[in-house]
Amino acid sequence: MNRTLRVVRMQLINRQTYVWVPLLVLGGAFILSVAIWWILAGSGVTGNFYGGGAQAPLWYLAVVGVQALTLTFPFSQAMSVTRREFFFGTYLIAALSAASLAVVFVIGGWIETLTGGWGLNGYFFYSAEIWQGGPLGAAFIFFAIAMLMFTLGFTGATVYKRFGPTVFTVSLIGLGVVLVAAMFVVGRLNAWGQVFSWIGEQGPLGMAAWGLIAAAALAAAAFATLRRATP
Amino acid sequence: MTHVIEVEHLTKRYRDTVAVDDVSFSIEKDTIYGLLGRNGAGKTTVMSILTAQNFATSGTVRVFGQHPYENARVLERMCFVRESQKYPDDATPRHALRMARLFFPHWDQELADQLVDDFQLPLKGRTIKKLSRGQLSAVGVIIGLASRAEITFFDEPYLGLDAVARQIFYDRLLSDYAEHPRTIILSSHLIDEVSNLLGRVLVIDRGRIVMDEETDEIRDRAANIVVDAAAVEAFTAGREIIHRRSLGRTTSVTVLGRLTSDDRARMAAAGLDVAPVSLQQLIVRTTQHAAEQGGVSSSLEEGALR
Repeated sequence: MNRTLRVVRMQLINRQTYVWVPLLVLGGAFILSVAIWWILAGSGVTGNFYGGGAQAPLWYLAVVGVQALTLTFPFSQAMSVTRREFFFGTYLIAALSAASLAVVFVIGGWIETLTGGWGLNGYFFYSAEIWQGGPLGAAFIFFAIAMLMFTLGFTGATVYKRFGPTVFTVSLIGLGVVLVAAMFVVGRLNAWGQVFSWIGEQGPLGMAAWGLIAAAALAAAAFATLRRATP
Repeated sequence: MTHVIEVEHLTKRYRDTVAVDDVSFSIEKDTIYGLLGRNGAGKTTVMSILTAQNFATSGTVRVFGQHPYENARVLERMCFVRESQKYPDDATPRHALRMARLFFPHWDQELADQLVDDFQLPLKGRTIKKLSRGQLSAVGVIIGLASRAEITFFDEPYLGLDAVARQIFYDRLLSDYAEHPRTIILSSHLIDEVSNLLGRVLVIDRGRIVMDEETDEIRDRAANIVVDAAAVEAFTAGREIIHRRSLGRTTSVTVLGRLTSDDRARMAAAGLDVAPVSLQQLIVRTTQHAAEQGGVSSSLEEGALR
């Protein structure tokens, strides 16, 4: 069997990280949200409820990205796995995880539209903006966000591991400086209107595509960094 | 002799320290090596560069004639579980062993199961990060032995293991090596305890190889002589003394150089005690001796520079 696929199997031997904990986070957030809606509905509050709880497993993916590097990478080195095999195997399992999450979100959103928000007008998975492009579009958006979150964690941890805390902090500050400078330039040029209309034109689907491109660029940077990282 | 590892002018420099200093050596096939030296001498650094886990500042490393870096065909024939090995979060010993089984082509599950029994390692219910130091070492030892890799590194494998468990490790290592000969590199600072296992010894001190010899030859290389203080000169003339300790009127000297049967006869006639030097003593004395000489020459150099 291909050694990269063995890395995927390695990650799945302990299903806790990639399967059970994300489901637990998602299930927990969901049950809490529905309980709160039920209490609100019981005290006469109607109207549509939207919960931000669905983000929880997405944030968890950033943590998974960090741990994939800080703990699984050193172990993969002891398993005589090359850095390339580790990188592609790990991204394969991350993509699997993100895709499964997207499927769960779409199924959840679909149930919500059918049941009128679980009969409570509560929408945990569904939002009109994300579903503009239908279920496939929604799945794509969830997938892109999940991959971006994982990549943020993974790339950050790679830079930290390779170059240490100082360089890591400096690059975060550098990123902040670039963002603030960009905001300053946009403000100076009175171009905020154009920026927002551009974002509007892209729509959620377009922005998700940009997010995926950003994730790919960051992942490429992580790969270049990992090539010379030591466990 | 076939060399499975060849190292030439290997240097590893960290920001302000030299961990490995222009080292050259080769490793013979199917031999048990002791990579001996003090903590911080550079043992782990050398092993991680050989397995491409770390990078050389300069010099070349060849394993099975090839560069190991990103070379799956070379890497899968080696196994190196480091002393401070990290494991995936939430992994139990059972997970770690199942993962190892995926990657090492010669993995022997029966041997692994037996070793789990021998070391009384709890497989389930406790994650590796919650294990005791000895149990953590056992996980690394089991992976190292059961992987049956053509080159296996053991990095201070006995840390936290009790005397019984250490003996189990030595016994299993020897019996499995007898059935499946392979190259084993055992890093250790408990020299006497492992000395019976070793066919060859590499001693590393401050990043330099100070000894690269067969274990049997080393044992012959020096002797301890207990002699009357006044008579020391007569018996040690022309020999290099690497250690001297006086107690009252008697002096114990450790001399370098093989003793001829003539020497032995002469000493026996004079009623002197001649004892072999343990490998540990010899290595400690030699490294101390080298350090003293090194210290002198380097301070001379400094003086010359000023």
